[in-house]
Amino acid sequence: MPSGAPSDLELMEGIQREDPEALSQLYDRYNGILKALILRVIHNEAEADDLLQEIFMEIWNQAKNFSAQRGKPLGWMVTLARRRAIDGLRKKQAYARAEERLQQETEQQPEAWVHNSTEEEILDGDRRVLIRRVIGVLPPAQQQAIELAFFRGMSQREIAAKTNTPLGTVKTRLELGLKKIYDGLKELRDEL
Amino acid sequence: MSFEEFQNRARLFVVGALEPDEMAEFENARREFGEKAEAFISECYSLSEAFALSLKPAKASDQIKARLMEMVKNRQAH
Repeated sequence: MPSGAPSDLELMEGIQREDPEALSQLYDRYNGILKALILRVIHNEAEADDLLQEIFMEIWNQAKNFSAQRGKPLGWMVTLARRRAIDGLRKKQAYARAEERLQQETEQQPEAWVHNSTEEEILDGDRRVLIRRVIGVLPPAQQQAIELAFFRGMSQREIAAKTNTPLGTVKTRLELGLKKIYDGLKELRDEL
Repeated sequence: MSFEEFQNRARLFVVGALEPDEMAEFENARREFGEKAEAFISECYSLSEAFALSLKPAKASDQIKARLMEMVKNRQAH
């Protein structure tokens, strides 16, 4: 964010006052991240664009429900976007097709989170690379469980069925993986 | 439920991975731990932020923003 630019919280407050310029700036700042999140869920460019527009409209309409005491604007937007994307995926009954694609991806590699960052990239201080490094140290089975829960909206039982793993193991993988990421992010707080 | 167990559940909650039977227990513990619980849940949203930020940003169609701002303008006009 350029120095002097309004913070996310200031932009949310602007949207709460129904200032379109605040929405415009928030869109410019986060459309790429939210679109990537939606695409990761629904795997369809045109549907992702439509959903992105709907989500920013919902941000505009629901801004009054945002409270800074409950977290940062980005967390709120990501939660909203993820929920809408997963709802959209299920409503359009594209779940089976996406499942098939996911199956192929999973068979090819345990997905894009798997450690692929170089030391040089880390030194560049890129936020995405730092986060992926935190995620990348997790065993692939923990990454996969989190991936299926967060980006596919799967329940623990669904993950257990999909990966042919006992439910208790899935729960442990999720708990351990999320704790490691949470602790890793805390250590990186000053750099992010 | 201990606070440590609540913390584990809270992390599952923010990524949408709590089972329905765990949700009721979680909500009870959330009320029991009060402000301490709410503060921890707020911190846990760093997880969902991080998962989104771990992705390479995707380019949206140029028309999307124009349509969005037009909808906002129309909404304000009524």
